[in-house]
Amino acid sequence: MCHSRKSGNPEKRNWIPHQVRNDRQKIIMEKILLKNIENPDSADINEYINVGGYKNLSKAFEYQPKDVIEEVKKSGLRGRGGAGFPTGMKWSFADADPKFPKYLVCNADEGEPGTFKDRPILEKNPHLLIEGLIISGYAIRAEYGYIYLRGEYPYAKEVLNRAIRQAYEKNYLGDNVLGKNIKFHLAVYQGAGAYICGEETALIESLEGKKGQPRIKPPFPVNVGAWGMPTIVNNVETLSNVPYIIEAGAVAYSQIGSKDCPGPKLYCISGCVEKPGVYELPMGISLRNIIYTHAGGIKDGKKLKAVIPGGISTSVLPADKIDCPMDFVSMPKHGSMLGSGAVIVMDESVCMVKVTYRALKFFEHESCGKCVPCREGTEWLRKILERIEQGMGREGDIELLSDVSETISGRTFCPLGDGAAGVVIGMLKHFRHEFEEHIKNAKCIFS
Amino acid sequence: MITININEKEIRLDKPVTVLEAARTAGIKIPTLCAHELLEAYGGCRLCVVEVERMLKLQTACTLIAADGMVIRTKSEAISNARRSILEFLLINHPLDCPVCDKAGECELQDLVNKYGATAGRFKEEKRKVPESHEDRIFTRNMERCVLCTRCVRMCNDVQGASAINIVGRGGRSRMEPFSPTSFNCEYCGNCLTVCPVGAILSRPHLHSLRPWQIDKEVETICPYCGVGCSFVVQVRDESIKRVIPRFGFGLNNGLLCSRGRFGYEVTGSQERIKVPLVRIDGKLHQSTWDYALNLIADKLKDIRDTHGGSAIAGIASPRCTNEDNYVFQKFMRMACKTNNIDSISRIGFASAQRYFEDLLGQGITANIILGLKNSDIILVLGGDPTAVNPILGLSIRAAARNGTKIAVIGNAKGLERFKTLRIVPDIFKEAEVLEYLLTEIFRAKGLRGEKPALDRKIEGLSGKSLKIDIAGLAELKDVLLSGGSVSIVLGMDVVHRSRGHRILFAVAGITYLLEARLYLLSESSNEQGLIDMGCVPDMLPGGRPLVVGDFKKRFETVWKGTIPEKGGLTLMEIIEATKDKKIKVLYVMGENPVFNLPNTSYVKEALKSLDFLVVQDIFLTETAELADVVLPASGWSEKDGTYTNLERRIQLLRKAVNTPSSADDWRTISEISSKMGYEMHYPRAEDIMEEIATVSPLYKDLTYDEIEKGNCLWPYNGEPLRGVVSEIPAAEETFREYKEGLYLAPEKILFHSGTLSRRALALRKICPEPTLKIGTNHAEKLGLKEGDNVSVSTAQGSINVQVSIDTAIKDNKVLLGNNFEGRGVFSLLNYEIDPITKVPGIEGCEVTIEKI
Ligand SMILES: Cc1cc2nc3c(=O)[nH]c(=O)nc-3n(C[C@H](O)[C@H](O)[C@H](O)COP(=O)(O)O)c2cc1C
Ligand code: SF4
Ligand code: SF4
Ligand code: SF4
Ligand code: FES
Repeated sequence: MCHSRKSGNPEKRNWIPHQVRNDRQKIIMEKILLKNIENPDSADINEYINVGGYKNLSKAFEYQPKDVIEEVKKSGLRGRGGAGFPTGMKWSFADADPKFPKYLVCNADEGEPGTFKDRPILEKNPHLLIEGLIISGYAIRAEYGYIYLRGEYPYAKEVLNRAIRQAYEKNYLGDNVLGKNIKFHLAVYQGAGAYICGEETALIESLEGKKGQPRIKPPFPVNVGAWGMPTIVNNVETLSNVPYIIEAGAVAYSQIGSKDCPGPKLYCISGCVEKPGVYELPMGISLRNIIYTHAGGIKDGKKLKAVIPGGISTSVLPADKIDCPMDFVSMPKHGSMLGSGAVIVMDESVCMVKVTYRALKFFEHESCGKCVPCREGTEWLRKILERIEQGMGREGDIELLSDVSETISGRTFCPLGDGAAGVVIGMLKHFRHEFEEHIKNAKCIFS
Repeated sequence: MITININEKEIRLDKPVTVLEAARTAGIKIPTLCAHELLEAYGGCRLCVVEVERMLKLQTACTLIAADGMVIRTKSEAISNARRSILEFLLINHPLDCPVCDKAGECELQDLVNKYGATAGRFKEEKRKVPESHEDRIFTRNMERCVLCTRCVRMCNDVQGASAINIVGRGGRSRMEPFSPTSFNCEYCGNCLTVCPVGAILSRPHLHSLRPWQIDKEVETICPYCGVGCSFVVQVRDESIKRVIPRFGFGLNNGLLCSRGRFGYEVTGSQERIKVPLVRIDGKLHQSTWDYALNLIADKLKDIRDTHGGSAIAGIASPRCTNEDNYVFQKFMRMACKTNNIDSISRIGFASAQRYFEDLLGQGITANIILGLKNSDIILVLGGDPTAVNPILGLSIRAAARNGTKIAVIGNAKGLERFKTLRIVPDIFKEAEVLEYLLTEIFRAKGLRGEKPALDRKIEGLSGKSLKIDIAGLAELKDVLLSGGSVSIVLGMDVVHRSRGHRILFAVAGITYLLEARLYLLSESSNEQGLIDMGCVPDMLPGGRPLVVGDFKKRFETVWKGTIPEKGGLTLMEIIEATKDKKIKVLYVMGENPVFNLPNTSYVKEALKSLDFLVVQDIFLTETAELADVVLPASGWSEKDGTYTNLERRIQLLRKAVNTPSSADDWRTISEISSKMGYEMHYPRAEDIMEEIATVSPLYKDLTYDEIEKGNCLWPYNGEPLRGVVSEIPAAEETFREYKEGLYLAPEKILFHSGTLSRRALALRKICPEPTLKIGTNHAEKLGLKEGDNVSVSTAQGSINVQVSIDTAIKDNKVLLGNNFEGRGVFSLLNYEIDPITKVPGIEGCEVTIEKI
């Protein structure tokens, strides 16, 4: 990148040196994603502009689109939707495809149980997302963007639509953005309440007005996406990182958080903690730190039993396995995944059979029905779990549960089925005894 | 070149295909369920898993594209386990009611479980319950048996283009459902049914009638309904046709069928068939013996021929009869009856149009491959809805549209509404003006081709006229046609039966010529083309040899051993008029119903009543047969061997599946009469007739049934076209008529019926039991009409009562009615005026009043 820049001096930032990340120390970080959200009018365009908003737009337009992609590549930004795919690389794939028009789609479906991290951006800081979308659209030369919004977020829809209207009024959106002869239009499309529509290809199907079911990959959306055209699907949080990368520069950005996986991250903590909520913290902070230092520890002084670290689809970790750095690269080494960064905390009074049953009820309900193992398997698992939880477990049920989930695992069309099987496999691995006791005692041992 | 390795076998591929396809071509079997050769990959069932080196998980062969160097195994412990568990998953909620399921014996799930096994009895929970649905007239849905492979949905949406069904609901609650609340209300092609691997969609006409293994025989034959000529298999038990099933991988339809082809098979099994000859005594038809009836006919014909000459006799051939029947019929007319007065109902459309185009552009100009439509950049459709007249040809247009071909419709083609790129609606009956405008614009942009002087001259002459037309979309259409892509023109007969239809035909010929377009004529009956090729036209011998060329005539006379009358014969409407004038005294009608199928029914009826003697050879006692002096039972399509020639001029084999109730072959009946009249004709088998055709017809040279069976006998088979083009294009005085604001009646070709034949197909009558009058939204509103209202439709010719159906695609002031149902055919309400050039009865401009009753 050839431009000099004024901002982005790393010294001036509350960036987190890598050495402190496993500490228990409270980390005070300057807010990037949730900046200004204490302001009750934070969603208003003027408030956003007052705190420096939309400044990065004109700055980005000074670069060539390719250079913006390079900068994002260099920043090390990874997708926050769950899979952690390097964002700049994804963009360059779409950029390399000669087909036009290209589309940019913001994944705001936020359906993973336990996840509510995108919500504060959508409801409190919509202009950050919009600015991110415009810059990203410029980078990949897309003239149309869509925000695919979770059906159950009616308030966010209102906020977004108002924000988009304001952005049009101020000429940040339209046929001639900022008079720079750059075209970018944006619209909100609301889903109808299907978890699978968070999966990018199912999302595209739904966006096209079809039934939301995943498509065969390859071809990937970067080549054949919405209406057959190159399409980038990025998570809300991912796109909201982009203005700051432009502002601070890739180098400064890459200093925040983990080395292999930098940047700020929104962690949403729910369950048995004193202070559940959304926390903006650097990537790579330890799970223990999040729970005990930031979320105030376990509620009512109870003992921690287990944590689901990244949304229901990620494997459960028992209480003694929480000293792991929460980022995309480290978590798999510790037996789970970062996923959406949705930390679900369970104390000693929580029945793990019931948790498993509830999870499978969710997956059964949300299985799109396309592939046999997920469609039939989740239903079967739920039926067995329901019996066990109700005290009607039978001998052999545990083996059957394990067998059925192993059979689903790795054979489904998309990761939803794998996730469902993973919950059972993880729970049986760490809490098999609870299942055994349920069956032996013919009742739930916690109620 | 891509080289992959499957089970230690090296396979070379020219292009990237799926691993499944690669394995199949190498003869390696991989079990599948959701995959189907006609459908895009889906990847839902997960049964086709294989191991691929350096890939962690098992991969589905139907979705994985083979890449160079891939090493694949289709058999291993892990693969067997995966397959077995998939089958177990499929069975846990399956009702396992094979003993009462029609599909048992041909069910893919049954076969798979048999072969790849399932773990038994681990599912102890309650199964999902869904009641069987009988709400539709034709399809039964049993969603407990459904494996949710979506083959039906993909077929309906991606191939048929009807988009009538989908999977609703999610996960285990998913069901295949039609979009309309109760019935399917679709095109009823039944292609969904044939791709369903299990007994989840079944045909009610066939329901519980028999088991697949109880079939006595399966016969590969051709559909009797339209000029496409789809291949299929009929299944026979106890001398009756039980079902029509597809022949995937064969014929131009490759397993696809339309509603008529799939469900119309009951016709020949009808109880109403004529089984013995009927002879009129004292004004009434009485049963008679064959001998008596045939002698009577032979004597009468001989008598008239000898006293009044052959010109007092005429014959009407049949586009539903085989080439062999028609060949023998025209030979009988020419050699035994000594007349060239032979024509067919095809005169009112296909035969005239083809003749006109061949005169201008050369023989064979309309012989274009249906599947080739897919390769056009632009398809111009006018004169009818291809998806209703020739449904499988219509599918080629829809497929082309999906591939990006531009579809331009002039007028109305409802089945292409969702597939068209643009549509223009000319002022009522003013297509000629629009086409002439396009022709002159094309001429201005591209100049003449200089290959056909007569045509060039006339095009140039036309451009002198100043044409000012202002129709939405016309300029765009002109640009599209001139954009340089390859053009196909699909012409329906609605613009041919016009009193000045030759103007339209000329403009189409000119456009075809200047744009070097491919021309397709829609053909309503199965053997319209064959009929022409066999010489069932007044001025042409078999093979399209003009009667007036002495050399040709002599060659035929040598083979036929006799003399062919010199004088050219009368065309169809001329025959009717000559009948009325008593110039024709005997009419022999083979497999046709002119009283119902020609305009101005009462006039035609009067004409036939004034005959000395009327012979009708038919399978039913039709409106025409009721007037006959002798009615001879004919054989139906499923009861004879023979050949049909389809609209692209593909010659195909028809196979006898069941016996005729009357045990008479049409050609044999005619040969017998001929022999009785002194002109001997003896053919042991239909095949022997083809042998003769192959010697006399330059278009079917050396053709044998063995060759036809292989499936690719296209025009001109081994032969060559010989007829040149005309040096002067005939012209007629132009007439101008203004059409007022009122409503005008026009015929509609409906999808679910074919002429009057399909009346007796019970399933088709269930789908479409009643004639309906189609009217555009605007006019319906003006008249205060709602869907289903009963109205009386009146013209100067008469009046009939029908139900109204509102058709959003109709944008002009036409109302449409079909010509299918007893006593309620559109032709009975239409008058006609003959086009002086094409000799087609023009039936446009018939004002109509509609009153609610
Ligand atoms: C079952 C399933 C549900 C998903 N739901 C979401 C979601 O709600 N929001 C989201 O951003 N990504 C979701 N994803 C991930 C998306 O497929 C996709 O990877 C992501 O939107 C890419 O954006 P990113 O690169 O910015 O992470 C889901 C994936 C799966 C398999
Ligand atoms: S795993 Fe299969 S059934 Fe489940 S959501 Fe994905 S595609 Fe649908
Ligand atoms: S009805 Fe038949 S073809 Fe359609 S999804 Fe079900 S099993 Fe498949
Ligand atoms: S398209 Fe024509 S030939 Fe084919 S099945 Fe239908 S009616 Fe028969
Ligand atoms: S045949 Fe390949 S997944 Fe169904």
